[in-house]
Amino acid sequence: MSYFATHPLRVAALAGGHIELVAVALVVALAIALPLGLFAARRPRVAPWLLGTLGAIYTIPSLALLALLVRGFGLGFTPIFVALVVYAQFMLARNVVAGITGVDPAQVDAARGLGMSPLQVLLRVEFPQALPVLLGGVRIAAIAMIAIATLGGYVGGVGLGVLIFNGLTLHQPQMIVAGSLAASALAIAIDALLRLAERITRAPAGAR
Amino acid sequence: MNPSAIRFKHATVRYPNSERNAIEDISFECGGGELVVLLGPSGCGKSTLLRTVNRLVPLDAGRVCVDEKDVTEVDAVELRRSIGYVIQAVGLFAHMSVAQNVAVVPSLLGWSHDEIAGRVDELLQLVGLDPASYRNRHPSQLSGGEAQRIGVARAIAARPRALLMDEPFGAVDAIVRTALQRELIRIVGELKTTTLFVTHDVDEAFRLADRIVVLRSGHIEQVGLPHELFDRPATAYVRDLIHAGDDVYRRYFMHGRELLRGQPQ
Amino acid sequence: MKRKRALALLGAPPLLARCVFDPSAVRVGSKNFTESFVIAEIYAQALERAGMRVERLFNLGSTQIAIAAMQRGNIDCYPEYTGTALIDVLHLAPISDSRAAYAVVARLFERRYGIVWLDPSPMNDSQALATTRAIGAARKLATLSDVARAAPQLRFATIQEFLARPDGLPGLQRFYGGFRFRDVRTYDIALKYSALLEGRADVASAFSTDGDIAVDNLVVLRDDRHFWSAYNVAPVVRKAALAARPQIARVLNAVSPAITDHAAARMNAAVERSQQDPADVAAAFLRSIDPSTPLRMTK
Repeated sequence: MSYFATHPLRVAALAGGHIELVAVALVVALAIALPLGLFAARRPRVAPWLLGTLGAIYTIPSLALLALLVRGFGLGFTPIFVALVVYAQFMLARNVVAGITGVDPAQVDAARGLGMSPLQVLLRVEFPQALPVLLGGVRIAAIAMIAIATLGGYVGGVGLGVLIFNGLTLHQPQMIVAGSLAASALAIAIDALLRLAERITRAPAGAR
Repeated sequence: MNPSAIRFKHATVRYPNSERNAIEDISFECGGGELVVLLGPSGCGKSTLLRTVNRLVPLDAGRVCVDEKDVTEVDAVELRRSIGYVIQAVGLFAHMSVAQNVAVVPSLLGWSHDEIAGRVDELLQLVGLDPASYRNRHPSQLSGGEAQRIGVARAIAARPRALLMDEPFGAVDAIVRTALQRELIRIVGELKTTTLFVTHDVDEAFRLADRIVVLRSGHIEQVGLPHELFDRPATAYVRDLIHAGDDVYRRYFMHGRELLRGQPQ
Repeated sequence: MKRKRALALLGAPPLLARCVFDPSAVRVGSKNFTESFVIAEIYAQALERAGMRVERLFNLGSTQIAIAAMQRGNIDCYPEYTGTALIDVLHLAPISDSRAAYAVVARLFERRYGIVWLDPSPMNDSQALATTRAIGAARKLATLSDVARAAPQLRFATIQEFLARPDGLPGLQRFYGGFRFRDVRTYDIALKYSALLEGRADVASAFSTDGDIAVDNLVVLRDDRHFWSAYNVAPVVRKAALAARPQIARVLNAVSPAITDHAAARMNAAVERSQQDPADVAAAFLRSIDPSTPLRMTK
């Protein structure tokens, strides 16, 4: 705890970098996972294969993947950013599929029958109703990414992981503690925030 | 406003993995604001036939024409916006209010905000619901009967000239169903909309229909006025179907539709 | 200084700018042990005081990673040791004489890798073997020859690199003979001394400027036959980075001469034992040598 007291600005700056890293990676990951998940949701036979592959990738140990990415991208922000985007796909795409396929089929039929184009059905009916499930996926992904992003301290000099790995090298346990506690606090805060968002977007229950 | 004419010519829809077709060589026409009931047991193809009109089901052979135009020659989305569609599960959009649900097609067509607001109130009254208390409710706060009334309101909001209804009253209890049937006759009479109504319920068919199309296994068994089916069934199947229930009751109703039409609401 | 640096951190440009290569920043790297950290931080702060923007990519895993990072342009400079360069990178025989070692590595690095060696520091962080005073007395260990002979009764704690490098254990065995330890265990570089201090090892590989040596009263065993190379630290810089910003040489050369053995060991201890932030330690060091603010380095 004392490291927070002696270096509050440094912890804050690193926390800011950590949040930036996760936020940007999450946005990019969503931009990929949304069309990917939509593609799978429309094709029930393809979906298990796609999600299975993403799940297999998810089980690759993060340090190993990171080492591979460093070979390709060098050090710094890029390898950890790419690793985060890759790992997030599984959680995000899976929830996109669950959300879209979970929409009441009667509402989708009515929407089509009334004259909404496929895009309008997606944007006006399917997406709003899939939103709570989608946000659940975003929440899970964000928390996992906050944890994995600590490896950014190992190869990139980015985020709270810097405190953890520097603390190990310099024999300074208080740095390690500070980095870990800050990352946990971040995860808890993001979890609470996104749970709130989920609750707000949940449509009144009982579709007719 | 001129109600649409709907014409089926040798319409055929195949099942993907079966010898039997969903509907086979169906030909008949209707129009002029009449309410035609597609009657038959489950699996006879009546819903499939209905959904070929708004192209939710594509034809494998034959044609469907609305107002002399083959439906495949018109943009599907535009076509659907000009034809009302009501389904048994209603499918009200759970994340929208009642008013927003009813306003869906007009807003797709680009009506002005004021036009839409006025039309919503008008429609709610038409289906027997007080606009002030129902406008801002959500589908989860509605009973079965209320929900289906809104479903009908939504379907006719943009003044379609044709209306497709797929067992719309199947999910409500008998008392509510009777009330809704009466409302429907009144509404359809007022709006002069050619209506195709799918049901497996013979009583319902007799109460509502100007004409009845009896379907079985994808084929037409008979097309005719209610009393024609009653007095002169074309096949043994039609005879068994019509006379399986309460004959006295039905006899009253096949001429009683005229009476119902005149009844004050 | 701390406040100014902290403000600089807060004012760091948005992340997206960092995604694209920022040509204005000098990237300073370090290896993953305290001394490399502190010296790299000294270089970084010196450059910042001279008005340059600096990005820190510290804690790189090994010499190989650091050189690869230099060649890829991930970093522009980092502190390297003449001995390490000579033996690990150039695969040449060790040279005990500081000046000779520096001349060789400077020439060859420029020719082969496009990496320029700036002025070296007097500090000579050579490799060493260390033991506790107690064990040294009990087993009569004062020189490497003593250890070579007594090895079969001794347990050795070291890091992986030491077992692989030619001037590590294999070199000792060849040069001195003996050194067949009863037990050899590798540890993470940060945890190695614990084994010695907790009685799980009798001898540990070490560096002569390790802070632990100063604070824990450890004994450095004398290299009586001069096996080991000189290990003077100097900033190594990418040629292209130097060409783009030649003032890097002036700034870092002003700092190098002040880094002595004594200064290095004290700074190492300050970080590891007194738990001070390497940034603070580096800042204090720079204040101590800057004629405009003559503050003694007391912490």
